[in-house]
Amino acid sequence: MSIRLEHVSYIYDADTEMAHAALEDVDLEIADGSFIGLIGHTGSGKSTLIQHLNGLLTPTAGRVLVDGEDIAGKKYDRRALRAHVGLVFQYPEHQLFEETCLADVCFGPKNLRLSQTEAEERARRALQQVGLDEQYYKASPFELSGGQKRRVAIAGVLAMDPRVLILDEPTAGLDPSGRAEILTLIAGLHREMGITVILVSHSMEDVADYCGRLIVMNHGRVAWDGTPAEVFRHYQALEEIGLAAPEVTYIMRELAAAGIPVDSEATKLDEAVNSILKLWRKGC
Amino acid sequence: METRRTGEETIIRTEGVRYEYTRRDEEGNIEGTTIAVDGVDMTVRRGEFIAILGHNGSGKSTLAKHFNALLYPTEGVVWVTGCDTRDDARLWDIRAHAGMVFQNPDNQIIGQVVEEDVGFGPENLGVPTPEIWERVEESLRAVGMLEYRKASPNHLSGGQKQRVSIAGVIAMHPDCIILDEPTAMLDPVGRKDVIRAARALNDVERITIILITHYMEEVVYADRVFVMDRGRVEMSGTPREIFSQVTRLQSLRLTVPQATLMAHALREGGMPLPEGILTRQELVEELRRLMPHTSEGGD
Repeated sequence: MSIRLEHVSYIYDADTEMAHAALEDVDLEIADGSFIGLIGHTGSGKSTLIQHLNGLLTPTAGRVLVDGEDIAGKKYDRRALRAHVGLVFQYPEHQLFEETCLADVCFGPKNLRLSQTEAEERARRALQQVGLDEQYYKASPFELSGGQKRRVAIAGVLAMDPRVLILDEPTAGLDPSGRAEILTLIAGLHREMGITVILVSHSMEDVADYCGRLIVMNHGRVAWDGTPAEVFRHYQALEEIGLAAPEVTYIMRELAAAGIPVDSEATKLDEAVNSILKLWRKGC
Repeated sequence: METRRTGEETIIRTEGVRYEYTRRDEEGNIEGTTIAVDGVDMTVRRGEFIAILGHNGSGKSTLAKHFNALLYPTEGVVWVTGCDTRDDARLWDIRAHAGMVFQNPDNQIIGQVVEEDVGFGPENLGVPTPEIWERVEESLRAVGMLEYRKASPNHLSGGQKQRVSIAGVIAMHPDCIILDEPTAMLDPVGRKDVIRAARALNDVERITIILITHYMEEVVYADRVFVMDRGRVEMSGTPREIFSQVTRLQSLRLTVPQATLMAHALREGGMPLPEGILTRQELVEELRRLMPHTSEGGD
């Protein structure tokens, strides 16, 4: 499932004195099966952008095409689209409400008018995908730990069988191991099921480690779009818009500036470590 | 980064603090008891910068809520500047001595205008109006938000809102500020600005800081670090002492700063790097000693 944004603009409170543009002339192509990191400071337009991808918002100008079809079209099935493009909001566990985890995850598929048996099948599969132990299926979601609750919430979206999964800061507030577990889970879904993933994150390390492509938003526009190495090359300009490069990149840049010929564009820890070790072994 | 000289005066002391709560089902029947804090003895001296680490559910936030009488121990005692927190008559004193800033910037700001929000605390304490304005000004200046005093909080970024929340606490002239994951929802620059503001308050105003966080980089400048697990203090020491134990921290669901992690990986690859590297600067300096240089510096 490919998504294309053509000159998309979105104005909040249009026709009022409060009118302000949250997106301006955004042109993007999101290829099937990609793993994209979406970064930008608070208020840069990331959240507005992701809500266009499953039709929660309709552009003020421009078009959103999914597999070539305009999703604002009169005959377009936006209900189906919302199942295909799953959106996991920030702190999704705040939206858990059912008595058991299984019932909570069944809620979405039931809304798709699936039978109880089918809905439960999907829910079990989704809970298995997120790695929740079966002993918790009948437990209240409120008895679970923070990381487990978040898995259940993600399972609720997976049970809709999405082709595209958009996650808005899925690791916020989790401890380091919890963060790694959620990211490993997402990477597994991408790898094994070929789901397209769009990860909204404030962690430059996380997007560098997991994403093949980064889209940087600033003032409602796409400021950069490229591989982590290409984007983090602009670390100084990124700092001016509230972002940064991964710590590893800064270390490598400083080493390179000191005349040590390491790979100054490394963005991942293992890349950096390998580059340094290779050079050091040559030197000894 | 080594322990600075701090005062001998104790700001917060806990003795054998244990906190239990009863879990109930929908009908209110008791299902069991959870021990969130299990025998914590801790002393925080005036002017210290303390960091508390621990995985989700380790009890760190529950413990912190004891420091300004939002929770009371089931067993044990908490003293804030010498007052037992269970002393109802001193409740507002205690909350004025130890102020708290929480994770979500949108849940803590109530004023329509920044300066009005910051003035709420001192106003509630019965501070006379002219002094309220003085306090508002000095507090906003201390967190670098004075130029936004007339702004609407709705138009601020997350990091700016958190600094306004901190200013609101400072305006009450506390001895101690407890920051419970203040940067969890912020972008990188917002995170840096909030931590910079906390460090400045500690350095310049000598306000005691207790920072709870999941970001290891924010902890390297602390005087002392406590690591919690299952309601107990599992480790305590300087950042260097704590972060030299990479595998132990990982087993407690934590990690170490990126520079420390990188030094650890390089050491495992055979490089003779010293233990206890915490910052980018330290790592770069050590590597410059060990690595072959080219004649001209390139980028």
